[in-house]
Amino acid sequence: MPMARESHPRVDVTPKPRAASADPAPSTSRRSIKTPGSSQARGVQRPQGLSASGRKPAPLVATPHARAALRAIDSRRAAIFTPHRARRQSLREARETPRDFLLPLGRVLARNTNIINSSSSPRDQKTPGSGGGDADGDTAMEEDEYDDEDDDLPKRPRLSLPIDADDDDSDLQPHRSAGLEDDNLTARSIELPRRAFSEQRGSRYSLASMRMSDYSNGNDVPPSEEVGIDSGFFPPRNAIDQDTLDLRAGDISAYERLDSDVGRRDTARFSDFEIEVPVNMNEDTFMIAPQAQESPTHEAPELHEPVDESEALDPQSDDDNDVPEPELAEEASDAGSEAAVEAFAKSDAQRSTKKRAIKISKHGIEYPSLPPAVVKRLAQTFAKTSGAKGKITPDALKAIMQASDWFFEQLGDDLQAYAKHAGRKTIEESDMLTIMKRVFFFYMTDPIYLRQRQTNPHTTPFALAQRHLPRELLQELRMTPPAPTKRRRKASGGNEDKEIT
Amino acid sequence: MAPGQKLYPRVTVKKIVKAHSNCNVSKNVDVLIFLDYALFMQTLMKEATIEAKQGGERGITARGVRKVTADSLAKFKG
Repeated sequence: MPMARESHPRVDVTPKPRAASADPAPSTSRRSIKTPGSSQARGVQRPQGLSASGRKPAPLVATPHARAALRAIDSRRAAIFTPHRARRQSLREARETPRDFLLPLGRVLARNTNIINSSSSPRDQKTPGSGGGDADGDTAMEEDEYDDEDDDLPKRPRLSLPIDADDDDSDLQPHRSAGLEDDNLTARSIELPRRAFSEQRGSRYSLASMRMSDYSNGNDVPPSEEVGIDSGFFPPRNAIDQDTLDLRAGDISAYERLDSDVGRRDTARFSDFEIEVPVNMNEDTFMIAPQAQESPTHEAPELHEPVDESEALDPQSDDDNDVPEPELAEEASDAGSEAAVEAFAKSDAQRSTKKRAIKISKHGIEYPSLPPAVVKRLAQTFAKTSGAKGKITPDALKAIMQASDWFFEQLGDDLQAYAKHAGRKTIEESDMLTIMKRVFFFYMTDPIYLRQRQTNPHTTPFALAQRHLPRELLQELRMTPPAPTKRRRKASGGNEDKEIT
Repeated sequence: MAPGQKLYPRVTVKKIVKAHSNCNVSKNVDVLIFLDYALFMQTLMKEATIEAKQGGERGITARGVRKVTADSLAKFKG
């Protein structure tokens, strides 16, 4: 009945189509009848009419957003299905596009180029520059070129808009949207300001400064660009330098490496460059991290360090006897180095045997290090899961122990900063969760976990706790304050059926 | 982690963090700290394995571990 009402105006033209529209079956026969009204509405020219209303099939020309989305999907799929090594190689190819070189070149040339010279054969000169840009950039630049040709007429008063004044600046640059399309905007917009802010302060005691010394004695750790292989997941350092020139280029993994590198250079304190490391010093030197790095074994002794130590040692000499454990003592006797011995011989000769076992934080508090057995067990487990063969050698274990010492120092610094920011003197779980949120940001950029995130968007610290921690510790976590507990239940409920690994 | 073994020295972990931060550590934070540490170890081992494979060595070496330590630590910076 509504159909008949719809076709009511056509009754004036021909009565027949109304009867045909009542039953849709003989529509082909109706097409042969050339009724103007019916043929326009649902006849042979159906695609035209419908596409004019914009309802039917997807437009063939993709919008920039659609293109960006497609590209993102493609890259994500490639990241998931490509093994690590191949992914890195593909990254390298992406990095070697001529745009990275052409953009700085364009910036340099744009200042020195005269408009008159470039307008003699504008088409030929500008086509290579627009290789990196997309269609929008090309059309924009062509418009500029036509404006340039107008400018050839000498001294003609310009009546056009003042946009033309910038022409020489935008000579070789692609359109602005060219760079924005293919990088991860979210990562950059969140990460870049944070990193820049937190790492420009050189006052932190963090490991970035201490790690510098490891790299400065280059005899046992060659820098990655000299080796010629890119390390791990990240592109080599020279690629990063290019990326520094062009911040819009590069993808997320390049960005991680970039900022860690830059941070290492920026936050290096002045004292790091004064460290003179003997050439024949072996890696054991750096086992006891805090003292070996910061004690005044170097030519330019820092004033605060000896004061710190002497302050620290005296009031706590009573506590010395209960802290050390037998395994710690033995481990430290292995790791004792000339630098550490020197530092302690200065401070106190009596307690030197015990002092080597115990490390002293920058706050002057002694602390033990994790027992090597625990570290070794953890490392062995994870090494097995990541596919390494063989056992962990004692040397490697030493390096791992040192890394975990650094890790705990960094973690302590961060936790202290968070707790102080909240106005507390106690580190609470919320501080730790805040730290772990950032950890998971990096964790998620890993393709393995990217895939996991696609299936389960509720990957939380608690999901990972479920995976990595044994039952007893999980029960401890259940006794946490209410808000995390809720999150935890939700996450674990969603995870238990999905995560099989 | 095999069940039945001693999990980790809770007191030691607490002491370490307390010394570094000069703050008190509330009750169950050390579990989360240990979780973070475990994730760090996982990352470190993974990177070291990749490093070893690229360098043509078998197994994890001290050199490889030392090389990837900086990157792994930067990932876990708060």
